[in-house]
Order: sequence, then C-alpha cells, then structure tokens
Amino acid sequence: MNNQGKSGLGRVIIGKYGNLIGLIVLIVLTTILTNGMFFTQRNLINVLRQVSVNGILAVGMTLVIITGGIDLSVGSVVALTGVIAALLQPQGTAAAIVLTLLAGAAIGGCNGFFVTKFRIPSFIITLGMMTIARGLALVFSKGEAISGLNDSFSAISESYISPSISLTVFGFLALLIVFLFVKERKSSGYERKIFTFNFIGVMSVLFIAAAVAVLVWLIGFRGMPAGVAVFLGIAFLGAYTLNQTRFGRYVYAIGGNEEASRLSGINVKLVKFLVFLIMGVLAAVSGMVLAARLNSGVPTSGVMFELDAIASVVIGGTSLSGGYGSVGGSIIGAFIIGTLNNGMQLLHIDPFYQEIAKGVIIIGAVLMDRKKK
Amino acid sequence: MENPVILETRNITKDFPGVRALDSVSFQLKKGEVLGLVGENGAGKSTLMKIFSGAYPSNTYTGEIFIEGKRCVFNGPKDSQGAGIAIIYQELNLIPELTVAENIFLGREPTVGKTDIIDRKKLFSRAKDPLGLLNIPLPAQEQIKNLSIGKQQMVEIAKALSYSAKILILDEPTSALTEQEVEVLLKLIDSLRARGVSMIYISHKLDEIFKITDSVTVMRDGKTVASRRTAELSRQEMVSLMVGRNIEDMYPKKAAAIGEAVLEVKDLFVSHPFLVGEKVVKEVSFKVRKGEVLGISGLMGSGRSELVTSIFGAFPADSSGEVYVEGKRVRIRSPYEAINYGLGLVTEDRKLYGLVLGMQVGENITLTCLEKLSWHQIIMRRRENELINKYIGALRVKTRSSETVVNTLSGGNQQKVVIAKWLATGPKVLLLDEPTRGVDVAAKAEIYQLMDNLAGEGLGIVMVSSDLPEVLSMSDRILIMHEGRMVKELQKNEATQEKIMFYATGGK
Repeated sequence: MNNQGKSGLGRVIIGKYGNLIGLIVLIVLTTILTNGMFFTQRNLINVLRQVSVNGILAVGMTLVIITGGIDLSVGSVVALTGVIAALLQPQGTAAAIVLTLLAGAAIGGCNGFFVTKFRIPSFIITLGMMTIARGLALVFSKGEAISGLNDSFSAISESYISPSISLTVFGFLALLIVFLFVKERKSSGYERKIFTFNFIGVMSVLFIAAAVAVLVWLIGFRGMPAGVAVFLGIAFLGAYTLNQTRFGRYVYAIGGNEEASRLSGINVKLVKFLVFLIMGVLAAVSGMVLAARLNSGVPTSGVMFELDAIASVVIGGTSLSGGYGSVGGSIIGAFIIGTLNNGMQLLHIDPFYQEIAKGVIIIGAVLMDRKKK
Repeated sequence: MENPVILETRNITKDFPGVRALDSVSFQLKKGEVLGLVGENGAGKSTLMKIFSGAYPSNTYTGEIFIEGKRCVFNGPKDSQGAGIAIIYQELNLIPELTVAENIFLGREPTVGKTDIIDRKKLFSRAKDPLGLLNIPLPAQEQIKNLSIGKQQMVEIAKALSYSAKILILDEPTSALTEQEVEVLLKLIDSLRARGVSMIYISHKLDEIFKITDSVTVMRDGKTVASRRTAELSRQEMVSLMVGRNIEDMYPKKAAAIGEAVLEVKDLFVSHPFLVGEKVVKEVSFKVRKGEVLGISGLMGSGRSELVTSIFGAFPADSSGEVYVEGKRVRIRSPYEAINYGLGLVTEDRKLYGLVLGMQVGENITLTCLEKLSWHQIIMRRRENELINKYIGALRVKTRSSETVVNTLSGGNQQKVVIAKWLATGPKVLLLDEPTRGVDVAAKAEIYQLMDNLAGEGLGIVMVSSDLPEVLSMSDRILIMHEGRMVKELQKNEATQEKIMFYATGGK
C-alpha cells in the first residue's frame, strides 16, 4: 500500500510536471555540452527573443486546441501581417499597428465564422486559410521582402525596456501571481493531502524562484527586450483568462463536451468564434514582432510556425482532443523547442538534424502524455 | 436435484488505487440456470464481469475461477471466449456497414480453399445455424445499420451462440429496448435456458429479475451479500439487501400545496430535424402548476424528449406554438434564454448531454450560472465555492472534494451533480428527462425525496420517464404521449400501469 502510494505520487509529479522536468534537464544538458555558452546573458536573451514569436502563437493555439480545434493558418498569417505592417509604415507606427491587428482579427474571425456557421472542421478551413494568407502575402509584397521599417516600429522587438522599469513591472506582476495563487488555494473549501500539497508547493515555489532569479539576472544585462515583454504579457493574460474568467471556463467546457455546454446555456458558437479571432490577433502580434526583428515584412517568413506552435502546446500537455491543457504548459513547450533549436545551433549541428530531433521530441512528449493516462 | 455448478469463483479480490473493488467474492452459477446479478452502481458487478471477460488479466487480482470444476486462468478475451464465456455488453460491438452474417463471423470468416477470399455462400449458410436459435426471423444478409437496437442485440446473441458459448452474460440488456423488444428478449432467454445455456443477467430492473431469473446474487460494496432462489425473495428484501438497509418507502411522495400555473404550453408542434414535413410533436398543450409534479409517459420515440428539449430551446428543429411562464408569453430560442426565464432541463443522457466529464464536480455545477458568480468576466471564487458547497451538501453528493473530476463519481452521484447544476440556476420549472436512468436504488430514493422537497418549495416539475412505477408514484398528474400526440391525461388516483401502457401503445 505504502509502495503504491509512493509510486502514485511519483506518477503525479512526472505526469503534471514532466515537461517542466524535461525543460530543466534539457537546459542543464545543453549548458554542459556547450561548455556554459548556452547559459550566458547574451545567449539566453537571444533564446527568449526567439521563443517570443512562437510563444505568442502557442498561447493562442492553446485556446484553440482546448476547444477541440486547430489553426494551421497562423504561420502564413504571421507572414501576411508582417507584410501588411511593413506596407503601412508610411501611415505612422500607431496606425500600422492598429490596422495590422485588425487584419489579424479579420482573418481569425473569418476562420471562426466558417467553423461555427457551417460546421466545417477547423482543420479544413484553416488549411485553406493557410494558403490563402500565404498567397495574399506574396501578392501584397509582390513576392519580395519589404524592408526599411520606421525605427519606432522596430522598437516593438528591438528596444530594451530599462532595467529599473522592467524590474518594477516584473516585481508587481510576480506579486500579483503569488497573490492569485494563494487566494485560489485558500478559497477552495476542501482539505488536500498535506504531503502532496507541500511537496508540490515547495517544488513550484523553488522553480518560480529560480525562474525569477534568472529573469532578474537577464534584465540586469541591458533591460527587458520589448518583444519578450510583449510575449510575457500575453502569456500572463492568456493564463489569467483561461483560469479566472468565465470565457476561459467556457473554453474548457466546450472542449470537454460541446453539447452539454450548449445545453448549459453557453453560447458555444460565440466562444469558438472568439477563440479563432483571438488566435488571429495573436498571429498578427507575432507577425509584427518578427517583422520588427527582421526589420522588414518578409512574405516567405513564418513557414511551419503553425507546427512549432502546435508542438509547443502538445509538449505542454494539452490534449489534441480538447478539454484539457494550460498556457503554462505551452510556454514550457515553447521553451523546450527554443532551447533545442538554440543548443543545436551553438553545437553547429546540421539544421536538417535539428528537424529530426524536434520531431522525436514531439512524439516522445505525446507518448509520455499517453502513459500518464 | 440441483444442477451441477458450471462457473465458480473463489475469493476474488481486486484492488484499484485506493479502492477495493472486489472483496473475496465467491460466486456460483449452475448449469442451465439464469442468475440475476443485482447491486447498486459501484457494487462491483462490472468489475466482476471484466474479470470473467479477461479484460483484467489474472495477475491483477487474487482468487480463482473454475469452469465445470476446472481451474481457468484468463489473461485476455481470447482465453475467456475459449472457455465458453460470451458477454453481451450494454454498448453493442457491431459494425453497422456489414451484414448480420459478416458480423457474426467477424475475424473467422469461411474462405475459399486456402486463399484469403471470403466464401460468401458458406458464410450466409453457416449463419443460419445460430440465427435459427433465435425465435425471430433475422435475415443473414441484412446490414446491421438497418436493424433496430433490439434486433442488433439478437445478432450479438447469435454471435455468442456461434462460438458455442456455454455461459452467456447479459449486462443491462434491456436498457435501450422498447417494451415489445424486452418481451422478445425474455422469451429468447427462456428458450436458451431450455437448451441448457447458463446465463448471468445483470439489471437494475427488478421486474425483469423476478420474471426471468432462477436465482439471484446480490452484490454490495464489492462483496456478494446474498445468493438465493428468486422465488424465495421478495422485492422489499432484495432492495434492502442491495442498499444494506430497509427502504420502507422508496417513493416518499407527499402532496405539496399546488399553486397557479408556472409553465403553460399551447398547441406546440415540433418539426422533425431531418424529414421535411414530418412532425415529432403534434398539437401538445399542457399546464404545470407550482408544487406539482407532472409525469409524461410514453414509449420511446413518442416525442417525449423532443417535447421537453424543444420547450427548453435546445431541439435542433423548428417549432410553433405558445409557451407561457408564470402567465407571461415567452419565446425561447436557446437554452440561455430558457435559463433566464427560469427553466432547467435535466437531460436524458448525462454522459452525452449532462456533464463535462473531464471537469471537476464544482465546475460542472456552476457551468449554468457563472454569469451571476462573476464580476464582468472574472469568476469570483469565494462565491462560486459557497454555491458549490451548498449544493454538494444539500444533495449529498458523495465526492472526495468539489475538485474531484466528475467522471470518477458513481452514476447516482453524477446524476445528482446534473440536478445540482440546474438547481444552481434558481429555476421555477424543472424539466426532468429520465431522471433516474442508470441510477442505483439508494440514489433513486434520494432523488425522489429531492423532487418532493422541490415541489414543496413551489417548483413546477415536469418528469419524462419510462419507469412506470416511478411515474405512478411520483406524479400528481400523468400525460401520456403516443406518436407525438398527447393522447390521455390521467389523475394520480385513476392511473395504473396497465392503463398507461394501453394508451401509450395507441389504445383508445
């Protein structure tokens, strides 16, 4: 009995925190293999910036996949919105940003409209939208990269928020998260097993403390890169929405049982529509961050980004059949992929092999997920 | 005089993490008898059946199984089939596109010579043997999808017979059958018994148990608590063995003070979802008053469920007619509007329509009323938890915590969660569609008690049910439907099972 309990706890930890443990192992391994090159301020900031583009998409993709859908168009939308933003530069940075976000919303809304109104599987609609958006990007840009963005636009990704400001904001956010966490624990009416609670509690506190320490260390370097700040902000908003709002609860409910949700008075179509709309907006954000980093709108960029986003979500433990998942998991997934990419670059591994390694990791993560169930 | 024992278990114990599902179960089935296996949900019947079927390999439990005195070890379905056991599950395992004969011989089709080509002639002629044992004609060349559920079940039985099964286990075989189909099935069981087939008959329906079985084994909390000849048991005794205490009064119904009409429906027509011009509900009018329980009875397919789901704005087809809530004309186009007008619908199939199985108990309860628990979009946890705990307490939902995943609860407790989520909306009218299907006896009694209390508080209750004793004892008035029409209204004191069946089957 005792033995069983122990292995049960082990399984809970590996099941719930398997991807987190995987990430830590991967970071340690990469650091050792690169003789510490990986774990320098300069490189880690680079990793953060690379992860941001995919991470923003992964947050939206988490919502889409929890409702039981999928969005294959995001990679093309990243390219299209990048091109649109670049073309809109003469109108001023603010107008370019707003209009590009609207364009993303329109494409996402279009996906959502066809999925909900005509009950066509999202796989099909977004597959179509994937090639439409790619085609539009090529048409608008006449097939060439549009370079020479306003400095104020490039600042979206390239500028640094000064250490003092970012530390203040960051500290405030950290406090808010701790506050919400404690509040939720307190308000749940039933007791838990003390041991499990404490153990996992200690684990999470330790991990959060480590993550905070690393971030503070990185911010101390030159400040927070603006693109990374955008990503972290969106991640926080996404996690908050899923856990604390009605909309988030409905997202889970619809993924778990659409019919029961409808009968419970939930406007299923509206929620699904909004989820695709949000995905479109986030793809536009991601597209602008990428364009700002490349200092141009590139119609051929963003290829396969949808797969990286989906892979992050799946590695993060979200079920492709809907109903389960978390933004936190997807972000860990995005960091696993980011670390892998960066580590292999540092080790000068042929990019072709990088693709293979990524595929192996994805399949491995899903296998682990299966075993858990 | 006694027949020899054909199937016996000795001291079978099976543990799941944290729960002992079977506690040294010893059990005997005699040759040529029909044994009724009864017990509440969670008593261990399904676990025992999974051991017989080989679904749980022999190293996952302790204890021994003997067939005709020989020790058997089951490590997979093949072993158990080989030993002559066949199980007819609640969910049928047939392939709709294939024919009856193809389904019967699935995986062991006769072939032409040594090739892999199916010998269709031989296939159809061989299928005649098992099909001949059924009492009804079933064409071997018919596709499964064209058969009624009752006939599909017959195909499953024919399949079992084609394996020359000696022991047939039927798990809730009548839960999806019409009255006539049940009759046909019971007759078939009778004739199989005459041929010397031994059967285990698992059912919640005690009427059937008394009608068809020779002996009864009662399970409770993973143990066999009694094995008796059916003739020596009374219904009361059986129920108290199942729940472990005397249920003096299964149906507590007391008359509540009946007030004015809270829901009124006038001339309601509901279209068929696919067939143009067809109506599934025709010209139905009724009233339900505060404190009243209105029973709606009828055969499956008589339009009962369509009626209530359509009133609730959840039926995917057009309807016409007038609906009044507390005297005010309302137009309900979606469940959301129905909830706002004070209606609640406890749906028929809780796994399909009632619950989000992967979510927590608490989350399921508040799914219907998050709006009043939120500040704009943000859910106020404290208020939510208060409401959840209130209903878990009031309905006595047996759950480890409000955060337990609802899937892990027993059927009766899941049903209570479904009822809780509708009570949480503060309804004026509760529409109940088969509120106690697949629910164990103790939970049933609790649900009846609850209905009583709700009526006492002035709720109007509309209850659709196929369970005649339930309709008779719980309703103040009974409406009977036949082919989409309301054919008869009976007062509580004049209604009998026979009368209801007479009108429900189209009698005039």
